Amino acid sequence: MRNAFAAALVKAARSDPRVVLLTGDHGYALFDEMRRVCPGQYINAGVAEQNMVGVAAGLAKGGFRPVVYGLSAFVPVRVLEQIKLDVCYESLPVIFMGDGAGVVYSSLGTSHQSTEDVAALRGVPCMSILSPADASEMTAVMDLAFSSARPVYVRMGKADLGVVHENIPDLQWGRMIPVQKGAGPLVWLATGSMMQTALAAARDWPGSAVWSVPCIKPLDAEHVAAVCGRHEAVVVLEEHSVYGGLGSAVAECTSTHGPTWICRVGVQDRFSRYCGSYDYLMREHKLDVESVKAQVRDFLIMRQVRQSVRPLAA
Amino acid sequence: MRTFDSHRLRQTVLRMSKAGSTVHVACAFSLIEMLAVLYRKHLNAPGTGPDDPNRNYLVLSKGHGVMAQYACMHELGWLTDDDIDRYFADGTKLKGLSDAHVPGLEVTSGSLGHGLSVGVGLALAAKRKGTNQKVFAIVGDGEANEGAIWEALLFASHFHLSNLITIIDANGFQAMGTTHEVMDLGHIADKLKAFGLETREVDGHNEAALDRVLTELIHLPGDKPRGLVAHTVKGKGVSFMAGDNRWHYTRLSDETYKAAMAELAGCGGEVHA
Repeated sequence: MRNAFAAALVKAARSDPRVVLLTGDHGYALFDEMRRVCPGQYINAGVAEQNMVGVAAGLAKGGFRPVVYGLSAFVPVRVLEQIKLDVCYESLPVIFMGDGAGVVYSSLGTSHQSTEDVAALRGVPCMSILSPADASEMTAVMDLAFSSARPVYVRMGKADLGVVHENIPDLQWGRMIPVQKGAGPLVWLATGSMMQTALAAARDWPGSAVWSVPCIKPLDAEHVAAVCGRHEAVVVLEEHSVYGGLGSAVAECTSTHGPTWICRVGVQDRFSRYCGSYDYLMREHKLDVESVKAQVRDFLIMRQVRQSVRPLAA
Repeated sequence: MRTFDSHRLRQTVLRMSKAGSTVHVACAFSLIEMLAVLYRKHLNAPGTGPDDPNRNYLVLSKGHGVMAQYACMHELGWLTDDDIDRYFADGTKLKGLSDAHVPGLEVTSGSLGHGLSVGVGLALAAKRKGTNQKVFAIVGDGEANEGAIWEALLFASHFHLSNLITIIDANGFQAMGTTHEVMDLGHIADKLKAFGLETREVDGHNEAALDRVLTELIHLPGDKPRGLVAHTVKGKGVSFMAGDNRWHYTRLSDETYKAAMAELAGCGGEVHA
């Protein structure tokens, strides 16, 4: 997936001299091809993220198409105010790449982990948020991002979890992508790194429908509610806080257009406690396949109990 | 086009401040001569508008002084008397801090330490496009507490942005006291030099000296970014405001408004009824 990003960047930079990459001294080896092919369009802005985003805004005002690369713990979170004031207030065409989103840097600790970036950005007007699940989605996401004349954040999480789509999917703003058809009681909506987990866990509920959600903002509320309305309950999965991310967004959409039962799987409002491998930390946060299945089973039991106590029908 | 007379510019600031019952009068007054010289000679070509693609950029990183810039935009005819005398009225466009949605204001500032970086980006864009555009970025000495200012200066030097002229409005005050008391900057010109800027110092209220040094900095050979420390007086121009930091916050009463307007009229400004 990271290679798909690097390839999309080089392709855009070769065809459009206005495309410039700014990195905050991150991305070792990732930009080798970019530096070889378009050395003049590569800017290492040093370990100074606030200035980097302001410079990107100035470049965009001067007619360039900046791509700002950083770890998602720093871009967008450390520079949220620069993104809000310098870029989004004028709706400038700047693409922000947040790498290592979630708990990818499992052994480096809290400073490099990022489970609040989507929540931080969702409330900033003019900003779109994309979160690809595999290399094909990344290609589609970068096409969409470069076609936009507005600010875009691309959340790049665990990148080597395998293929979701055999071909590059048709990605449109606000729309989800069907991955597995099904008319069963459950629909699973997953973004980024949680896509494979959703597919694996859903096998325990035959007939499940599974959708990928690479476009977290904007989200077509009626489309989301319509998809959810075909099933009895919804499971939303993200490697992000359960506050303010995709689960919240789906709950917002459905609460207006078609209230339903939603199991929000994500990080439960806490920091990682321990050090370890990525798989270990995903288990610690109960985001591995077995933990997800257990959460969904508990959720369905809770739903059944609540419905029998307080039936919705008159 | 009018002449950017400093007394009339200060009177325009007072009109706005009275109309809107606003603060930050003193923050604007230290900038008046600096902006007058820039607008008169170093920014837009005569007759061009605020969105002229070939303009030199005036980046007011120190957004609190925005009324001084409005006063100059009024001289240019970019703002009307109505804009001035209905400042802060419901549904109007001019805010109390620099706002990039207003044609003529290049950046959104007031949260400090933003504008200079955007100015650096504009300067880099101009260099890469091969235009001859300059960027004049005005930074407050209080604003220089912000770490992002120093990130921006490092970047400007590293990327040889000789078309960036960073002007420090060194009025010696910030919100809660003197810069010496709050966060001592030491010798600011030495700091700019240490960051690789070709640096000059000037009396920020002497228009002839300002014009001379700005012209020198613009034409100086070499690839270093340029720095200018303008030594100014916060509240300059009205005797009871000069050097009194209360005028960062104080609103004009009928009496102080009349007294200030009359004092400026006596110095060559316009007589207002």
